[in-house]
Amino acid sequence: MSRKGVLIFTLATLSALLLQASILPLFFIHYFKPDLLLVIMVFVALRCSYQSGIPAVILLGLLKDSFNGLYLGLNVFSFLVIFLVIKGLSDRIYAESSHLFVLAVTMATLACIGTNLLLLMFTPTPGIAFSIGSSLLPHLLCNAFAASLVALVPAFDQNGEGTC
Amino acid sequence: MDLFRKYLALLVSGIVITAALLFYLLNIPANREANMLERFLLDAMAPVMQPFSQAGRFFTETWSGYVDLVNVRKENQTLKEQVKQLHVRLIEGQEASQANLRLNRLLEMKSVTKPKTLTASVIGEDGSSWFSTIVIDRGSSDGIRDGMAVMSAEGIVGQIVKVAANSSRVLLLTDHASGIAATIQRSRARGVVKGKGGGLCALEFTTREEDVKVGDVVVASGIGGIFMKGMPIGEVTMVKRGEYGIFQTVTIRPSVNIARLEEVLVVLRGGYE
Repeated sequence: MSRKGVLIFTLATLSALLLQASILPLFFIHYFKPDLLLVIMVFVALRCSYQSGIPAVILLGLLKDSFNGLYLGLNVFSFLVIFLVIKGLSDRIYAESSHLFVLAVTMATLACIGTNLLLLMFTPTPGIAFSIGSSLLPHLLCNAFAASLVALVPAFDQNGEGTC
Repeated sequence: MDLFRKYLALLVSGIVITAALLFYLLNIPANREANMLERFLLDAMAPVMQPFSQAGRFFTETWSGYVDLVNVRKENQTLKEQVKQLHVRLIEGQEASQANLRLNRLLEMKSVTKPKTLTASVIGEDGSSWFSTIVIDRGSSDGIRDGMAVMSAEGIVGQIVKVAANSSRVLLLTDHASGIAATIQRSRARGVVKGKGGGLCALEFTTREEDVKVGDVVVASGIGGIFMKGMPIGEVTMVKRGEYGIFQTVTIRPSVNIARLEEVLVVLRGGYE
């Protein structure tokens, strides 16, 4: 990743974490919490290489796990799997498309929820499947909306080599 | 060699994924303590989260205090009525407390000293909708340890689960991983309050024969030594006894308004070393 890319990634990640943990919960009700770190992860998967993307995605997963839930490694695994799947397909598609980005975030949200649910079966949290299921649709909509806002950023259409 | 190069990407991906899965399985907590990485991240983010959290509260307070004044007069009158009723109950409570003291002296019971508490501000919340944790601005440097009880003026909030130097994470009582030994205040029926998500809890392992009604107050039973006996947990909102089965289904609404939590008290007693 270039220096500019590292700077943008760091600022975006910090902003996303602050928004997600400290600011948005004050204004949004319980189910409508966008996962901004997942949006960043999908962006990294579509634009960055394996060498720069894998450490970035692991870091995003660790950050998310440190402030969400109790289980370190849950989102590291989920993000990694989703990154590798998206990265495997990104070479064959038009990765700069905003519509594709929103679609990718939606599918990634579903995949993340599914993987989390699978891994949470190893933990003593009865009834979490119901909580996850009931928040699925609002979470999907929020993430798609957040992704559509990211796509409005002027720098979004730039060639990926400039940022990663 | 060509075969190796051909499948190298797949091999590396498989190794990385397996390592991530092992990392997760090893971190499924037996004692839920924060490891070095979590402590570092909590310490690094806490000083930044605090001003942002305060700024956010400033805007919400400005909105509700000056802009959103619809129905304020009506709400004011309702609240005045409630204050009058509460004042009467307060006097009755004081009478009961005095009588209790007298009776205890008569029975020569050992007096219970209140443990020391520490005030903390909520600076962050869990980002996902299916976990329920908050971040507070006190940590091990203030004497907080993993496992300590957290409460507010209304009742039990939760338990400290991860401690860094200057911040900590609290597992709320509405989280699926939370469990508190509890008693129905009226009938003394016992059970375990477990989080159900969505701001509600359930009283589990209460047998069908036990007397539980809607409106009953649920308090901590003191078993386990984490939460003091008698600390309010919530109110029963639904009771269901099926035709079969040993236990009844009881839903509890916590007495603490989790969504509007700003300050909490950490009970500086117990905790895991």
